[in-house]
Amino acid sequence: MTVTHHPDIATLMAFSAGTLDEPYAAVIATHLAMSEGGRETVRHINVIGGALLADEKPAALSDGALTRLMTKLGDDRIEYPRRDKGAADDIPLPLSKYLPNGLKSVKWRWTGPGVATADLAWGRDGRSRLMLLRVAAGRPVPEHGHGGQELTLILQGAYRDRFGVFAVGDIADHDEDVEHQPIAEPGDDCICLVAVDAKLTFQGRLMRALQPLFGI
Amino acid sequence: MYSIAMSESRTGSSSGIPQSADAETLLMRIAQDRDREALAALFSLLGPRVKAMMLKLGASEAIAEDMVQETFLAVWRKAHLYSTDRGAASTWIFTIARNLRIDQFRRQSNKPYEDLETVTLESAEPNGSVLVEQRQVIGRVTDALKSLSAEQQEVVRLSFLYDLPHAQIAERIGIPLGTVKSRLRLAYERLRPMLEDLQ
Repeated sequence: MTVTHHPDIATLMAFSAGTLDEPYAAVIATHLAMSEGGRETVRHINVIGGALLADEKPAALSDGALTRLMTKLGDDRIEYPRRDKGAADDIPLPLSKYLPNGLKSVKWRWTGPGVATADLAWGRDGRSRLMLLRVAAGRPVPEHGHGGQELTLILQGAYRDRFGVFAVGDIADHDEDVEHQPIAEPGDDCICLVAVDAKLTFQGRLMRALQPLFGI
Repeated sequence: MYSIAMSESRTGSSSGIPQSADAETLLMRIAQDRDREALAALFSLLGPRVKAMMLKLGASEAIAEDMVQETFLAVWRKAHLYSTDRGAASTWIFTIARNLRIDQFRRQSNKPYEDLETVTLESAEPNGSVLVEQRQVIGRVTDALKSLSAEQQEVVRLSFLYDLPHAQIAERIGIPLGTVKSRLRLAYERLRPMLEDLQ
């Protein structure tokens, strides 16, 4: 898999620092599982955290901290990680927590002509949402009109906009003021994993996006 | 893949790396020999720094201490997964502390990070890094961080040490979100030659 469109380096820095809301971290981790080059970049960025930690001014530990640690050491090791049995194999591992039965079992909700969405639960009713978006070939992808950070990762099919063709593994991570209108490419439905700001209801933005086209 | 990583590390430690008290050597001793003394020494070396990092989040003394304990228990349990391919000891420990921070302070799942680690281990992308190089990289990056402009250092520290999302950094400093991001991008560009060196 050749990934052509990468996340903004600032987004990868936030991922490395651990400050992304979980839906965004999930999208980035899923993308990185598909991109060896991306993983290498994050390995480099992690060194920033390592250097800052090494350079911290030590804060004295309490008396007995070492003893406390030593008495807790057992023989248990975190074993060499292996995939959960029954994990769906049509999706990258970091997505399996949110989509344990894979793409085929998704309960799609019709949201517009040629467009369906599915919300993925992530355990907290937070400021952001993690969702799947499915767009039929030739249909516009309702994701323009930004207003908060939005990450879009292609899981199946492809779409095209003025930045080029976004295929499986590619991620769209634009500044919020970027205007673009992606159209799903011919072939399989384009399925994207999307993290969005919850304040912008997707439905509302979808309708806004479709209005000029369909007069809804 | 695991055995490859281990045999490479063994080669590394038998090729004349002194048994000094540097963090990578200690971590390799824990990884290879389950050496409790090495863990104690690593704890003394980096534990107080992990605590300093946790205190920056506004954690109480007691909670910061608990987080240090959790971090080093994880180091003990995961040490056999460490190899110098994975970077300097402080980088590896930073990522462990960060995952705990996400879990404990942000109350969000760090499973995406754990799963990504599994993917990385499964794909085993050895890069031939050796101990001494990782140590030098940390030193050079530390120096380079200090050579960044004050504005760039500020956003980097607020993000990596104070755990602030970019939007909150923007609010705190009183600059647009886009400026936070562009400062971080510039900082990365400045650090890039050091970060990519030998890795």
